[in-house]
Amino acid sequence: MGYEWDFTVVLRDFDLLLLGLLNTLKVTGLALLFGVPLGLTLALLRLYGNWLVRIPVGLVIEFLRSTPPIAQLFWFFFALPILVGVEMDPFKASVLTFSLQSSAFFAEVFRGGIVSIDRGQWDAAKALGMSRNETLQRIILPQAVKRMIPAFLERAIELMKTTTLVGTISYADLLYEANSIAQSSYRTLEVFTVAAAMYFVVIFACSVAVQLLEARLTRPDESARH
Amino acid sequence: MEHVWDFSALLNNKQLLLIGLRNTLILAAVCLGLGLFFGMLVGAARYSKKPLLYWPSTVFVEVFRNTPVLVQIMWFFFAFPIISPFDIDAFSAATLGLTLNTTAFSSEIYRAGIRSIERGQWEAGKALGMSYGEQLRRVILPQAVQRMLPAFMNRAVELLKMTSLASVIAYPELMYQAKIISTIEFNPIEMYTSVALMFFAIVFPLALLVQRFELKHKAR
Amino acid sequence: MEEVLRIEDLHKSFADLAVLKGIDLAVNRGETIVILGASGSGKSTLLRCVNFMEIPSSGRIVMNGRAVGRAVDGKQTYSEKELTRLRARVGMVFQHFNLFPHMTARENVMEGPRTVLKLDPAECARRADTYLDKVGLAWKADAHPSELSGGQQQRIAIARALAMEPEVMLFDEATSALDPELVGEVLGTMKELADEGMTMLIVTHELGFAYTVADRVLFLSEGRILEQGTPAEVLTYPTQEGTKNFLRGHGSFRLPEPQLD
Repeated sequence: MGYEWDFTVVLRDFDLLLLGLLNTLKVTGLALLFGVPLGLTLALLRLYGNWLVRIPVGLVIEFLRSTPPIAQLFWFFFALPILVGVEMDPFKASVLTFSLQSSAFFAEVFRGGIVSIDRGQWDAAKALGMSRNETLQRIILPQAVKRMIPAFLERAIELMKTTTLVGTISYADLLYEANSIAQSSYRTLEVFTVAAAMYFVVIFACSVAVQLLEARLTRPDESARH
Repeated sequence: MEHVWDFSALLNNKQLLLIGLRNTLILAAVCLGLGLFFGMLVGAARYSKKPLLYWPSTVFVEVFRNTPVLVQIMWFFFAFPIISPFDIDAFSAATLGLTLNTTAFSSEIYRAGIRSIERGQWEAGKALGMSYGEQLRRVILPQAVQRMLPAFMNRAVELLKMTSLASVIAYPELMYQAKIISTIEFNPIEMYTSVALMFFAIVFPLALLVQRFELKHKAR
Repeated sequence: MEEVLRIEDLHKSFADLAVLKGIDLAVNRGETIVILGASGSGKSTLLRCVNFMEIPSSGRIVMNGRAVGRAVDGKQTYSEKELTRLRARVGMVFQHFNLFPHMTARENVMEGPRTVLKLDPAECARRADTYLDKVGLAWKADAHPSELSGGQQQRIAIARALAMEPEVMLFDEATSALDPELVGEVLGTMKELADEGMTMLIVTHELGFAYTVADRVLFLSEGRILEQGTPAEVLTYPTQEGTKNFLRGHGSFRLPEPQLD
């Protein structure tokens, strides 16, 4: 076919793309930083709170899981500032949205991990005179976290993919940079293809790392029973 | 500052929202149908021992699983038309992106589902004199589909949420309509809250269904 | 004789199902009591009520002369704190060992003294050494449960309970999950404890063990104590039809001939 590929524009503005990638990683990292502890908190509240806590927490988790991230992002960027009268910029809205959004998914990962631990472990700790908090801290979570690691990392990769949305509220992530270079240079095909390739390299590397880790973790398990 | 909630603009623009809702559902249904169908083919190709089938299908799956779906949609909308022999509008770009994405993910579901059936089932079919195709069709798939169903439904949940990305390339689905209305009516709070609720109303029952299905399956 | 534990009119129901229907039992210091009964007779539930793994529906548990809980309108109420403290004084060994798989044998044994008793590291270490040695597994101190046989795991679980230096030990079918050739080592450890004067309540199906080690044997049926007495009384000359049927069902145990003098 007659199309002539020309990557000079991409090469010239490659540092912009890299900067965008860095911003993608920044939002992902911060969302993880806030989302993981928040997810653990939500999971514990959903599991062990009384019904006055459990039901609203469950509702919040399900709501965040069942609505499109872009709707959440727009809500936090366009609606929330008017509603509560706070300053909101694209960066803050992005970190806020993705921290909350991922915390809901992490909450379910934590919950699944905790529930998967054999009842006998609770029994044994209880019989030693350990309180529920001590049991969670010393016995249940250390075992649960190990089982959750793959699910956890998969979620983190999903999160990175989802953060491409931040471009829609003009936060300069990789996709946003690609789009603006494409608009100004008319080398849309090359720019978008390179951007896609960059995403692929980063995400594929993470996926492979997760798979390798998963293979290592699922070696004959250390579970004491059966 | 006390915000006075006012949903009247929603009713005034009922027509626009209904169009958006319809388009969301159409997009999801089309991409789910096509994605599950092609996913089966790609899944089978990845089972093949022929390198000409195995390698392209594997590369395809890895590329689409390891890039953000929004990048896929935007690539098909902005980049692909340059080399495409036919015209690409927002609907076709979104359909292409979401269908291929669903194809890649569902091919993995088929693969895992078929792999989960124990070898003895294949052998029992073989011992009865069934061909490979017959074993697959009569023995393996009926069992595997049962196990794959929750995963497929999960795909549908994800797909419904992903259709909202088509708003970025101005396909008038629910999210896009909400964006338009909110700029005309200056009511982002009501608009985005309602659109989130609408998605929740569609997606959550499906998610609940998946959960119940998975529980039932585990109990068995 | 000094009484350590008294169970008074203990009832326990799960939803509509009454499992224990009035158990009375006084346990003296140093006594070894074996509890027999068919499955569903309530023997495990009885043990689990003693250390409040299950909260009794009614009745009282008296430890060292003091009733656990407070009577409010004729019903015992319990604070979680009090129960936690009580459980620390009562050791329990489970059918499935329930060792903590992410800890070594030694860490398992130290966990209670460290987390619950908040002892200093030196004392925790001393107890770990003492009790691992007592069950004969000091040489496995750094092994994880997955590297141990079932019998070894159960002995570590016994050491873990002993490290709390409890006043009473509860054994809930401690050998039922073990391969037959591993049962002996665990029973041996339990017998040693009994000989040293540990107060023990043991739920088991090992009638031979009951016969040689128990000071007293209880036979539970449908949530009540049907018969109790010395091993010779209950196992050799049972008076109740239920006990006789149960013993007939356990043909593998050959009752010693009555001794005539």
